[in-house]
Amino acid sequence: MTSEGHPPARGPGEGTLPPAHEVSLDIDTSVAHVARVYDYWLGGKDNFAADRAAGEQAIQAYPDIVYSVRANRAFLARVVRYLAGQAGIRQFLDIGTGIPTANNTHEVAQEAAPGSNVVYVDNDPVVLTHARALLTGGGQGRTHYIDADLRDTGQILAEAAQTLDFSRPVAIMLMAILQHIDEAEDPYAIVSGLLDAVPPGSYLAISHPAADIETEAMAEMAVRLNRLMAEKVTFRNRAQVARFFEGLELVEPGMVRVQEWRPASEIEAKSPAALWGGVGRKP
Amino acid sequence: MSAVQPSDELPREPAMDEPRGGPTVLRIMLGNQLRRLREESGITPDEAGYEIRGSRSKISRIEHGRVGFKERDIEDLLTLYGVADEQMRAGMLALARQANSPGWWAKYNDILPEWFEPYLGLEMAASLIRNFEIQFVHGLFQTEDYARAVTALGYGPVSTDETERRVSLRMRRQEVLTGVDPPRVWFVIDEAALRRPIGGRQVMRAQLKHLLEAATLPNVTIQVVPFRRGGHAAAGGSFTILRFAAPDLPDVVYLEHLTSALYLDDRRDVDHYMEVMNRLSAEAHTPVATTRFLKEIIQEI
Repeated sequence: MTSEGHPPARGPGEGTLPPAHEVSLDIDTSVAHVARVYDYWLGGKDNFAADRAAGEQAIQAYPDIVYSVRANRAFLARVVRYLAGQAGIRQFLDIGTGIPTANNTHEVAQEAAPGSNVVYVDNDPVVLTHARALLTGGGQGRTHYIDADLRDTGQILAEAAQTLDFSRPVAIMLMAILQHIDEAEDPYAIVSGLLDAVPPGSYLAISHPAADIETEAMAEMAVRLNRLMAEKVTFRNRAQVARFFEGLELVEPGMVRVQEWRPASEIEAKSPAALWGGVGRKP
Repeated sequence: MSAVQPSDELPREPAMDEPRGGPTVLRIMLGNQLRRLREESGITPDEAGYEIRGSRSKISRIEHGRVGFKERDIEDLLTLYGVADEQMRAGMLALARQANSPGWWAKYNDILPEWFEPYLGLEMAASLIRNFEIQFVHGLFQTEDYARAVTALGYGPVSTDETERRVSLRMRRQEVLTGVDPPRVWFVIDEAALRRPIGGRQVMRAQLKHLLEAATLPNVTIQVVPFRRGGHAAAGGSFTILRFAAPDLPDVVYLEHLTSALYLDDRRDVDHYMEVMNRLSAEAHTPVATTRFLKEIIQEI
């Protein structure tokens, strides 16, 4: 069953209109948008001219970005499969949903563990509309959508609590999103704020574009993306990404390049992707 | 923009085990490949048209998959494009033969306008169908009674037999929704289409209930744009965007008029319609709120 992050209707008339849905329609396709650029790299069809132009600029600087985004999606699927399977997690908070593609979190989780509940969070109205329409399961657990920014952890946690039971373990998924939070906005405080809200036995999964792999190409790509995209990027090195896992027990094999995290095949492990990734358990 | 071309070159032969979507998508795929080969060899549409005793518009029709293929034309084009590899030539010719076999709707030929036939093929083959409708409930969700009433509006008092054949074609189309590997269907409906009591109140109420039921299918998403949400009228009219699973098949925008239709697959056109569709979807009630809204309308009708 699919549900949404709004209280039930309060009666006839205006009560049937979920107040949170009075969205301010901030839809601008003339500027490249991260979710649509990502869709372009993945070979999707939900992108516009500005997104394709920015995507191509990035590809010229760092051609392996197209492998990176695929490796990132594959990492997401392996992580969710591990968490829903071996780790026994049944609640997922996926922040930075993106435009729906194959192997979305709720599909992988509900296939591995029917009855898993998934909350998707994104701050883009078009992404959210797509998520509501297309990220719906076949009755194998609840799927819920929140219109919020990663920086508003309070809002995310309050709304997620309508679907997730925060007295039980939750997996917090931050896949290729923390690069949009620069140092001035203190990404570490954001992550620890989320972790503080979940009980021991919960998990944190992160993937993050690397500043110290293919250093020059990645730096050039960042420059180009920051010139063309509304959301800026800050790539981080191994130590900076590892800091997000401070105080957690890292699941084997620790924090590695995403393609080396429990790869399903040798081919998968050999992807040239330049992202750090890992899964940590809250003790 | 390109207007749809008549598909009079389609030979009619019985089909065996055709894939869902049948010939239309195969034609588009083959057309795409031919366009790529032509561009890679630096040959203009005029030159290619001359080679096959036709014009540049014939090449355009072939490359957009709007027409059936003559094997001789394909052979000549492959030669012109420098494709010598026998295996590749044989593969493309086999594709052309397959693309020439008719879909299940061939037996409705007598009542099918030629500008509508390609749409049926695209609808059957699509992996995602997005539609914005301002006048009627979409054909994929019509009840028999509602379809009968719509048919009477569109074609006037025709024979019962013809009306029934039109209704039966529409019902047959709907099987795609519950078949194997059904498409994702994401429809945005203007409140007006739900308020206008086509076929009378009884028929309309049954139709709305049917819509409510359809919305519970896992592959179906329905969103209503209520009157009180302004602005969406900028869309200008009803339209459909069809998406296909194959990565190199472009989205197709379908615009239906009274006596013709447009099929747009130019990227700029598609982008524009997709942007409008995204805006409409964001403005509309969410799928869950739509269910409540539909129930309200059923009460009021």
